[in-house]
Amino acid sequence: MPDTSYRIVDVGAARIAVASPLIEFHHQLNLVYPHQRDGGGDVPFADIRVALTPGSKLRFWGRQVRLWSESQAPFEPYPIGSALPLFEWGSNWLLSQRLNAYLLLHAGVVARGDQAVILPAQPGSGKSTLTCALHLAGWRFFSDEFGVIDMERGLVLPMLKPAALKNASIEVIRQHTNAVLGPVFSGTRKGDVAHFVPDKESFEERRTGAHPHMVVFPRYVAGAPLRCLPVPPTEAVMRIGLNSFNYQTLGPLGFDAAVRIARQARAYDLSYGDLNDALACIETLFDQTP
Amino acid sequence: MSQAPDPACPLLLQGLSRPLDVDVAKWDRLLRLARRTGLHARLAETHLDGDVTLADPVRRHLLSAKRVAEFRTQMVRAELFRLAPLCRGDFPVVVLKGGAYILQERRLSRGRFVSDVDLLVPQSQLRTMEERLRQAGWQTAPLDPYDERYYRDWSHETPPMRFPGRTLEVDLHHALTPVTGRLAFNPQCLFETIRLVTGSPFHVLAPEDQVLHACLHCFQDGDLELRVREVVDIDGLVRELAPEPKFWDQLVRRAGRLGLERPLWYGLSFARLWLGCPIPEQVLAGLPAPSRGTTWIMDRLVPLAMLPPDPDYPEPAKVRWARRAMLARYHLQRMPAGMLVPHLARKVLRRTLARHVGSEAEENNGA
Repeated sequence: MPDTSYRIVDVGAARIAVASPLIEFHHQLNLVYPHQRDGGGDVPFADIRVALTPGSKLRFWGRQVRLWSESQAPFEPYPIGSALPLFEWGSNWLLSQRLNAYLLLHAGVVARGDQAVILPAQPGSGKSTLTCALHLAGWRFFSDEFGVIDMERGLVLPMLKPAALKNASIEVIRQHTNAVLGPVFSGTRKGDVAHFVPDKESFEERRTGAHPHMVVFPRYVAGAPLRCLPVPPTEAVMRIGLNSFNYQTLGPLGFDAAVRIARQARAYDLSYGDLNDALACIETLFDQTP
Repeated sequence: MSQAPDPACPLLLQGLSRPLDVDVAKWDRLLRLARRTGLHARLAETHLDGDVTLADPVRRHLLSAKRVAEFRTQMVRAELFRLAPLCRGDFPVVVLKGGAYILQERRLSRGRFVSDVDLLVPQSQLRTMEERLRQAGWQTAPLDPYDERYYRDWSHETPPMRFPGRTLEVDLHHALTPVTGRLAFNPQCLFETIRLVTGSPFHVLAPEDQVLHACLHCFQDGDLELRVREVVDIDGLVRELAPEPKFWDQLVRRAGRLGLERPLWYGLSFARLWLGCPIPEQVLAGLPAPSRGTTWIMDRLVPLAMLPPDPDYPEPAKVRWARRAMLARYHLQRMPAGMLVPHLARKVLRRTLARHVGSEAEENNGA
């Protein structure tokens, strides 16, 4: 790590400092964080500090890049051209370890005004795609991965990172005329990955939280008809806990926070085969929910 | 240029006993150093409930560390709860280190990360206890016969056991030192002074033995990588126990009897040097100090090995060399050279083979 001039990426709920001598990585970063100009303020503090450093040029199987955090490289290296997916994935992992002041849900989040829709789901259930589609349909983007619950204020906070779309989702979202996507990285550990860029307004409001208004547990099932059922609060609490990075670690605090969300927000289980049906359904439910 | 130890280390150590009034830039570095050494939840203990004003992100990170430490502590309590029925009163089961600090509700257990539960039983009961653990569902990861024999014959513990689905390991000891080591002593005398913890079926070591065990663990275990938190344990124990009448006398006498004066000297010296641990002058003067040459070397190597270097850089070569030197010292104390050389040769050979085969496999996958 010879060059340690850090660049600050302020994503709302967290500040990430990243250093790298790789010019290509900085280009990739500019593409997916286009609204991040001055580093977002002058506070010399970052929640995580990472460095992306190239490996030896002479490696027979191709040059690699490593992610360093506090003198350690906690992950396997990636091919040199895939520094951005490594940064996104690695920084997400570090954030999930360190932000235990919040209840961290594994969820997409969008909002209208100060009312948020939380979409908790396991990987592979189409949560990122649905979050991006909602954003393209006019909702404010919070995150496709982290539902950051500020337990003291009862708010959900934006974590404004680009959404990592995988495989078929990339084309689904690219069809939208307004969609801005970064380069496609083929053949990563999770298949093809491309990063969806949230709009400038969402970015500028990244420090403004919203109240949990509705919780939707989404599941994309190819070819399936739309099915939407209300989830009783008691069951919603358990499912919120199951879709959390740190519910267990927080013990009673996490339980109380999950109960509070379930009391405050109506919860639904949504399975769908057509993205547009799902969007329309969420719109309708949102308007109906008091 | 990377510095080792990091120049902010003294500030980190200070912050463990009293709140710091520093700006967020300093906090950024302190938190990184603390995270690296597992001391961030300790910083939380001195800063969260005090009068000091903390910037929001700093407070959140301390809170985060505190919660993780509390969760781990809770996991230890849960594991001990499940181990309790295996103590049937026919022989004492002694909880060591972190688990013992929690059982005794010691101040130093707050903000201390615990990763396993260490138990000590009389050597004659080792098999019985192991069998009880197995019967109750704890399992050992499969070992090859060489490793199995290493644990059984040369080490002072059985291979770690774990209950399926739980994260904490249970290490079953029959001694505090490797049986082949230079510092080996008969653990029987430990059992003469153990104490039953009120309201539990577990025993803990006598206070002075707890201090000696912490010193032994800190200075006689591997490459000492970032072991500063163990010096923090020694400091915490001493501060808590020193007010007891005759504590120092008993400690020094016990160290003499068990032949642990050297580890005690190191433990107390570094606790005083780094953490200002209040140790009476005559106590250190009364212990046989290492030779001036050894002290000179250790004074240079121990901080490099134990304190965190600049977190912006990979660890510098001098840190790696210091750790290698400490590792060599450890191995020499652990086994006579006649046993050590074949043992290490075998380990190196196996590791090299594994790396070779392992990396080939990985690259085939990638290709």
